[in-house]
Amino acid sequence: MKRSRKTLQPGRQRKLLSLLSLPVFAFLVVPTLIVVPVALNNSRYITFPPGGVSLAAVQGFFADQAWTSALSASMQAAGIAVVLGTVFGASAALGLHGRKFPGQQAVVGLVLAPMIVPTVVLALAFYQFFISVGLVGSIIPIGLAHAVIATPYVYLTTRASLAGLNPALVRSAQSLGAGMLSVFRHVHLPVILPGLISGALFAFSVSIDETVMALFMQSPGATTLPVKMFTDIQFNLTPKIAVSSALLVTVATIGLLIQVVYVLKRRSTARMMPLAV
Amino acid sequence: MATATLERSRPRAGGPSGSAWPRRRRRGGWLLLLAPIVAFDVLFFLTPLGKLVASSFTGGAYARVLADPLVTRSLVNTLTIALTSTVVTVVLGYVIALVLWRSGTVMRVILFAVVLLPFWTGILVKNFAWAVLLQDNGLVNDFLQNIGLTDAPIGLLHNRFAVIVGMVHCLLPYAVFPIFSSLTAIDGRLALAARSLGAGEVSVFRRITLPLSTPGISAAGLLVFIISTGFFITPVVMGGPGDMMIANEIDYYARQLTDFSGAAALAVILTVLVSVIAAVYQRVLKAGGHHETL
Repeated sequence: MKRSRKTLQPGRQRKLLSLLSLPVFAFLVVPTLIVVPVALNNSRYITFPPGGVSLAAVQGFFADQAWTSALSASMQAAGIAVVLGTVFGASAALGLHGRKFPGQQAVVGLVLAPMIVPTVVLALAFYQFFISVGLVGSIIPIGLAHAVIATPYVYLTTRASLAGLNPALVRSAQSLGAGMLSVFRHVHLPVILPGLISGALFAFSVSIDETVMALFMQSPGATTLPVKMFTDIQFNLTPKIAVSSALLVTVATIGLLIQVVYVLKRRSTARMMPLAV
Repeated sequence: MATATLERSRPRAGGPSGSAWPRRRRRGGWLLLLAPIVAFDVLFFLTPLGKLVASSFTGGAYARVLADPLVTRSLVNTLTIALTSTVVTVVLGYVIALVLWRSGTVMRVILFAVVLLPFWTGILVKNFAWAVLLQDNGLVNDFLQNIGLTDAPIGLLHNRFAVIVGMVHCLLPYAVFPIFSSLTAIDGRLALAARSLGAGEVSVFRRITLPLSTPGISAAGLLVFIISTGFFITPVVMGGPGDMMIANEIDYYARQLTDFSGAAALAVILTVLVSVIAAVYQRVLKAGGHHETL
């Protein structure tokens, strides 16, 4: 159907549309990409376009203990979020796959609900809650909070890959004497693996970029990269913020490239829409 | 109990036809799979939210916050900024979705990547980039001076314009996805029929593409509006003192005034606002016969 539409489309209008949309695409992508050259600027001030290339800001970033400890706090929070989010999200998708039971909608709703609640509301709720249980002051509450909001993403990506599972495979494995763990390892795991990987990537990206919760629950030893950036940005635009941004853009690009390769292999752009999986 | 169930269903599962195979056989199994996530969400999601709601009803918090002129102003700010950003986002998102829809497979993947790059990037990175571009000696001001539009840098940062630019940039992917899916649902033969009857490109768009993609537009509009009501970072980084939104007010009450019940009341107000809009959103989706987007 797509092919027929293509041949129908008169070339001139298509070119005009592409031309008109060019500024919009530039608007989308240029600001994200400029942070890399800004980070490699040789000036002590933030300028764009940069005067010359230098790694001074990058070295400055890694020599600054405040920034490196922020980086390590971010990695720890993301580690907790990825592990918990992947385990909980995937088990929810497996547990809900192909089943009907009373209250199922409620469980699905509960699994997806953290996506819908505004982050600032959750941040306040977590802040109050973790203060009341005496957990604030380490990276653990931030990691747990990130796991809560990352889980729905893993659930959605895993559910999407389970949709392609042929029930006959499970049945044959069981009839051949496979136990539950064995069925999971040899039947479910290969099917859900792409969903698991992209879900884990999402979880990582959600955690590493999340600012509001991490800001509310920050403490001297648990200040994440975005929180450090947010605090510094309000005073001055420094090259170290640019280096931190470039780092995060690099992570985003790697995640995106993995996704693109996966999509090109599957030939389905639908999988690129995280909200429509 | 789980073992008993397994025992009873074993002969059935082994049978050659066995249509009820997985449900019966693994009843205990799926409960074990669902237990961790339900326990986790009850403990670390519902409990904190429940405590938040409970604390909002203490000490006359609602009366107190609603009497605060700063709160009223931030509510007005939230609605006007969210509405403006939504309109701009949906219009630009429509253009992007249209181009995506009309490109070939490879081009489509490339353009999708362009849409997804900001989606994968954190809000702080994007706002920082905009701050660099819009600051007094930034690229945009340099450009405006070079082409002779102004002599001195004009203040592009720390005002409402900057907030909306920053927000639209973050929101665009959310508008593109629903619009794109409603465009792909359009039967290509309709445009073919219209053209064979002599319709030009503009009239095909106006009378076929646009009306048939309205479910996507309304879905995108409501989704974007809901997300935009909760913005916190952008007003601080890119806005001025007069551009604070409700989320900033929550932060102010919680961390500056340490008035937790007041902050909780504001959070409940924001959530109720968003939920009401989400309910409308669901209804519009149903009325439009649009398939599930979540």
